[in-house]
Amino acid sequence: MENTPETVVKISSLVKRYGDLLAIDHLDLQINKGEVFGLLGPNGSGKTTTINCLLSLLSFDKGSIEIFGKEMTPTSYDTKRKIGLIMQNIAVFDELTVYENIDYFCGLYVSDKAQRKALVEEAIKFVGLDEFTKFYPKKLSGGLLRRLNIACGIAHKPELIILDEPTVAVDPQSRNKILEGIQQLNREGATVIYTSHYMEEVEQICSRIAILDKGKKIAEGSCGELKQLIKNTETVNIELPSLPQNVHSALASLPHVYEVRYDDELLTVRCSGGRHNLIRILDVLQKNDISFGRVYSELPTLNDVFLEITGKELRDKE
Amino acid sequence: MKRFFHSVRYFVISGFKSKNLVFWLILFPIVLGTFFKAAFSGLYESDDMFIKDPIKTAVAGESTIFKAAVDAMEQSGGLPLEAVYTDDETALQMLKKGEVAGIIYIADDGRLSLSVMESEIQQQVLKGFTDSYNANAAVITDIVKSGKDVTKAAEVLSQGGYTKEVSMKHGNSDVYEQYFYNLIAMTALYGSFIGVQIGIKNQANISALGARKNCSPMPKSLALLADFTGGCILQTICMVICVTFLAFVIKTDFCGRLPLAYLAAIVGGLTGVSLGFLIGAVGRWKEDAKIGISLIVVMPLCFLSGLMVGNMKGIMMNIAPWFNKINPAAVISDSIYCLSVYESLDVYFEKIAVMLITSAVLCVLGIMLTRRRRYASL
Repeated sequence: MENTPETVVKISSLVKRYGDLLAIDHLDLQINKGEVFGLLGPNGSGKTTTINCLLSLLSFDKGSIEIFGKEMTPTSYDTKRKIGLIMQNIAVFDELTVYENIDYFCGLYVSDKAQRKALVEEAIKFVGLDEFTKFYPKKLSGGLLRRLNIACGIAHKPELIILDEPTVAVDPQSRNKILEGIQQLNREGATVIYTSHYMEEVEQICSRIAILDKGKKIAEGSCGELKQLIKNTETVNIELPSLPQNVHSALASLPHVYEVRYDDELLTVRCSGGRHNLIRILDVLQKNDISFGRVYSELPTLNDVFLEITGKELRDKE
Repeated sequence: MKRFFHSVRYFVISGFKSKNLVFWLILFPIVLGTFFKAAFSGLYESDDMFIKDPIKTAVAGESTIFKAAVDAMEQSGGLPLEAVYTDDETALQMLKKGEVAGIIYIADDGRLSLSVMESEIQQQVLKGFTDSYNANAAVITDIVKSGKDVTKAAEVLSQGGYTKEVSMKHGNSDVYEQYFYNLIAMTALYGSFIGVQIGIKNQANISALGARKNCSPMPKSLALLADFTGGCILQTICMVICVTFLAFVIKTDFCGRLPLAYLAAIVGGLTGVSLGFLIGAVGRWKEDAKIGISLIVVMPLCFLSGLMVGNMKGIMMNIAPWFNKINPAAVISDSIYCLSVYESLDVYFEKIAVMLITSAVLCVLGIMLTRRRRYASL
């Protein structure tokens, strides 16, 4: 892996153990300037541990971490100045107002009062908390609190923004606002590392994604590249009251079909490549005089990628 | 330095906006001080009652010396009884009817004896009076017999004893004041709640705030120093409020040494903050648990210094004399108490030095526990 001038973060052979548990297993990552890099994986896959090692909060057993071309240590204050952190847990003072919280954290990075005032006001506007500047965190809804958490992390205009599951327990409106904000920050020049177990979010905003499982990187690439790694290209779902065995066999023998499942009156046919798969499947049903209800076709998701590589769902069924 | 003062400023602001801190460090001492004042005012009034009314006493027998002594004591206001001179029979009738508390019989040799119906406080006072009179009369008789100066003998009698009490006290000897000094000690040690915040909010493995602060470009040592400074300012303000309230509202007597009492309270507050900092730095328990630990540590220290039971310090002096010397609550209250006991300030400054050393030890231990640069787990 070559350390190009464009590289913002370089993690090499990172190993982190918690006793006997191998939390990160020889992880290599390279994140380039201007990217929105997604770290995707189920709970316990090592995303947050990776972030904490990256920030020099956690000790690690092996490997090296470089940010902006310099080794990252707890005393890398110049590097830390360029980083903005939005943590999974809300990290604000309950006793300070929205404005005071943002001003406090911004003040740890920016000494000049006038400059800080402008940055704080900009951050408040950016996350849409203009009407809540005098509110205390306890008076804010979950979504607004998350936005405050973000404002505290980005007010000082960092070059590298690390967001660790920033949308957990957030209403759809706030989630969209947050995701739009991240994209805007990226457009303004910030490199973003985004961890989540919500594949839709990662698909929506990330230019490159690494999928983690049990501390290992199991796949990396753009969303399109990741989907090309698996044979599934289309999943056809049809609601059926019943499916005779001969029809099941006929469907399974169609070209490009590699899996036919029938559960709870839902027929699921997975196809690999090919065109007009849906028409061919419906044709088989019609010829066998099978009536059917709702029909829909799905393109592969990152969950399919994860499912096919690891044999399990990316996210626990909720 | 701007970032340092920025952090100090916000630590103080967030402290004064914290309802818990305001309650425990400002309101609670005021409420408890008011309660003490109300309770002790009742006791003062009870004390006054015992000496307000002279005890009506029948005196049977005649003695010019006794009469002269009683008249002299009455004029000086030191006579605890109202003498009713009568014969034996009438005196007995008066005692039976409850018109007098007792009968003082004057024997031929001038000695007094007492006869009472019951043994209560008034009768105890009369017993004390007769015993004292008999003892003093014996001394005078001896002096007269030895041919020495009779005037000296009269002086002895009027002074009420052979020894002269020399007070080392600078001010008053009110035993209840000690409770208010203990209240100051308790408030000072409640500063540990502030210290706990410093420990928690600077450690990434205890709080999200700690993690965020650890990721900032502000060096951890500077962040800790800023919070500690803020904590000390916060606690100093609380201690000043507490002592001011006690001095000017409750009218606690600091024997004209109020500035020294302020200093002792402020240094005591520093000890409290340091104690809390150490508690905040130890272990990975949550904030509420650490506040609970602070209370578990502070309240027994206050109890053993006499906050709840006045003579506890004396009891501890008998059981483990060394404990009062290291118990921060006892040291803080003693530092103020000694202002009213000793003219010299040697003991006062000795106590201040103990508090400063204790604070330094607690701080160093706290820093040793928080100084780690990376955590094994979060």
